[in-house]
Amino acid sequence: MKNIRRGKWSIACVCLVLGFMLAVQLRTTEDIKSNVSFQRIEDISARLLETEHERDKLKEELQQLKHQTAEEGSGAISEEIQMRAGLAPLEGQGVKIRLDDSNKTMRSGENPNLYVIHDDDLLRVVNELRAAGAEAIAINGQRLLGTSEIRCAGPTLSVNNVRSSAPFEVSAIGNKKDLENAMKMRGGVAETLKVWGIQIQIEPADNIYIPAYKGTVRHEYAKLTEERQEEEK
Amino acid sequence: MVLPILGLLAGLGLGYIFPVVIPFAYAKFFSVALLASLDAVFGGLKATTTGTFDSTVFISGFFLNALMAAFLVFIGDRLGIDLYYVALLALGFRIFKNLAVLRRNLFNRHHKGLPQGIEPMI
Repeated sequence: MKNIRRGKWSIACVCLVLGFMLAVQLRTTEDIKSNVSFQRIEDISARLLETEHERDKLKEELQQLKHQTAEEGSGAISEEIQMRAGLAPLEGQGVKIRLDDSNKTMRSGENPNLYVIHDDDLLRVVNELRAAGAEAIAINGQRLLGTSEIRCAGPTLSVNNVRSSAPFEVSAIGNKKDLENAMKMRGGVAETLKVWGIQIQIEPADNIYIPAYKGTVRHEYAKLTEERQEEEK
Repeated sequence: MVLPILGLLAGLGLGYIFPVVIPFAYAKFFSVALLASLDAVFGGLKATTTGTFDSTVFISGFFLNALMAAFLVFIGDRLGIDLYYVALLALGFRIFKNLAVLRRNLFNRHHKGLPQGIEPMI
């Protein structure tokens, strides 16, 4: 009898410990469930890929539809307008410039930022090309419009709000000799970039293809208005 | 009957009050240990119904089984042998067996009356 009495207490003590363990385990399981598991991450990235594919397809469709309406529209004038607005793909002679991060081995204590391509490097290249009479420019397949940005986005660059990373390929349509010379000018962009070991290749070509702008053009704030006389200062 | 349940409830309450969380890396060992303890408790309950209960065996079994189960799984982890599932299977099997014996003993008792000198706990 006494053994059983003691047994009761021992079972009670053990149950106490068991309950404690159960509660801890419950909380642990809940924690693990609420954490984003690797499985979940994979799921989400797969879905992201899917959505991106879908988006690309829809973009293409949109492009086609735009093209159709343009063809149905007022022919030559609208084509000219589209060309200027960057809404039509273009082809012509020009240059293709490939820029890649430096392949120099960095000495210790040096700033690694000096050896990677930045937004302002690309901006200078684009500026030079425009100054040399480039008619259309694209960076990594993103057509540059008047509203396009070239902006540092972490380790990548964002053009038309699409991110891409090195190597960058800038294609420009224009007089290929002019464009090439503008880039290779003494003390010009290419030379400055080469100081930092940034790899830059300039290839003139006769059939540079520049894709159309794939985003949407919105005018949320701008409205058409009449011309006003403003004094030039 | 009342005491073990009170103990269990108190344990659950304590577990909820103290913010103890097992890190993810050790969750596996802890769950095996928990299963071993569950097995020990059911084994103890069974023993009380068959009349072979010994509190020393019970308490030592409870803690040692849990520790050994977790330790074995840990060793298996180090050796690249996943003993986790083996432990789950073996312990789960034992729990069900203990439950079956427990149930049978309880029913037998109601049919034939209590064996002499044994106080029902459940």
